[in-house]
Amino acid sequence: MWVDLAITLAKILFIIGVTVGFFAPILTWVERKQSAIMQDRIGANRADILGFTAIGLFHCIADALKMFTKEDFIPQGANKILHTISPIIAVVPAILTFAVVPFGGQYTIFDKEVNLVISDLDVGLLFVFAIASLATYGYVIAGWSSNNNWSLLGSMRTASQMISYEVTMGLTIVGVLMVYESMKLTTIGAIQEDFFKWGLFLQPLGFFMFLAASIAENKRIPFDNPEAESEIVAGYFTEYSGLKFGMFFMSEFIEMVTIGAIMTILFFGAWHIPFLTTATLLSWFDFLGTTGSNILVMLIHVGVFFSKVVFFIWLQMTIRWTLPRFRYDQIMKLGWKILLPLSLANILVTGIFILVLK
Amino acid sequence: MAYYVNRNIKMTWWERIYIPEIIKGMIITSRHFFVNLFGFIPFFLGTQKERKIMTVYYPEEQVQYPVAYRGRPVLAQNEDGHPACVACGLCEIACPAYCIHIEPGENSGKQNQYERWPDVFNIDYAICIFCGNCEEACPEEAIFMSDDCEISMLDRKKMLYTKEQLLTPVADLQKRIEFTRNMYAKWNY
Repeated sequence: MWVDLAITLAKILFIIGVTVGFFAPILTWVERKQSAIMQDRIGANRADILGFTAIGLFHCIADALKMFTKEDFIPQGANKILHTISPIIAVVPAILTFAVVPFGGQYTIFDKEVNLVISDLDVGLLFVFAIASLATYGYVIAGWSSNNNWSLLGSMRTASQMISYEVTMGLTIVGVLMVYESMKLTTIGAIQEDFFKWGLFLQPLGFFMFLAASIAENKRIPFDNPEAESEIVAGYFTEYSGLKFGMFFMSEFIEMVTIGAIMTILFFGAWHIPFLTTATLLSWFDFLGTTGSNILVMLIHVGVFFSKVVFFIWLQMTIRWTLPRFRYDQIMKLGWKILLPLSLANILVTGIFILVLK
Repeated sequence: MAYYVNRNIKMTWWERIYIPEIIKGMIITSRHFFVNLFGFIPFFLGTQKERKIMTVYYPEEQVQYPVAYRGRPVLAQNEDGHPACVACGLCEIACPAYCIHIEPGENSGKQNQYERWPDVFNIDYAICIFCGNCEEACPEEAIFMSDDCEISMLDRKKMLYTKEQLLTPVADLQKRIEFTRNMYAKWNY
């Protein structure tokens, strides 16, 4: 029992370390540097420690220091309690969704089955969407409580956009569920051991719609109307400064990682290398013994999983720095008139295919 | 209701389904990304002279300014260490911003020596507008615009340069001297 507890704690620490400790700070650097490189610039390279710049990596530390030392400002007329807790409501769901996200398969280590997921829920996929949509409350309360017209506009836009695209998102994953016949994220990942059963091939339309809807959920360009710098200052977090602003910032980056992880599991073969089954990998490293080969394969799978996540983060960044922003009515039109009928048609076509192939 | 502007843009069906055009745009940006990401490797290995990204890392790297560039004005110093200036005051008069201050010094009649020189020659770079009129007015080829533009300071008083700070050997100014000879054709006056 103590061993199980220790394993679970280790997994929780790993996930928090990877998301909050590694991805969130490093993505601020990646965003600056990638946008610079894409636009033929050099990018952040001025922060240095004793003349050593490390290609601008110290900007993360400088950012963190700046956020810690800034004044924690609450505007006049704002609701102090709601204004204070809304960043927490926004950031906690982003981290919490990782509770059911598997980052590897099942391995036998020292005669113990280790399942690389913190909580292997039967309704894992539903849990992800249920928790992820809780973050909307954080954004809406943030705008509403700060006693600022722009913030309120931003939060109203957030609410409408979230509702519109959550419908599409929910209907898109119905197709995935029909194909894999399971809501357990570990099962969905395990089925994709066969390269031709990747969600990308079984649900190609679903993949694109899910990508569009999830970027809209994350409120990044081209769907960044809730933040729209040129129209409403910074949307719902106009009145936030210091660490509270940092939490909104962090939640956006962690959500990027979450989207990458969910996309990887649903559509991109989870932790599997194409044409290489776990059994083949295990037989390659058979000379290390059961435990040794399992640990090695586990490390390989976790590495593959996170490189796929990094690829999806790169894709989101590329989209963000390539496309211009939609107008508000265009977003609504895309959501309700194009993506929603398409996702319904996707379900229909998937159903017909399943019926015919049976 | 949204207001629709007729921009006379006729899009084909292929463009209106939007996804191929997005992918086309992303191919362009990611091509730039990968070319720039791996393009610096031959530069650091030394097989290629120029980087793919043309941006200059400014304080560490500097570009050679063209000879027509007007940096801060400096005084020419002859090979024997004496200023070429004769303290005629033409630059003082030509200066539109009144940033030059000259107090002349004079020879008391000795033969084969310099007759006039500036005892005090101050240029206040906080006032100077880098127009180059002083250089054009000078009959003795004594004041020139250098290529030095890094004269920002924290103290405004330090921007007043005295004669000793201004003096620059003629050898360093040779390019600019030839340029001004062509440019202003001083021998035609």
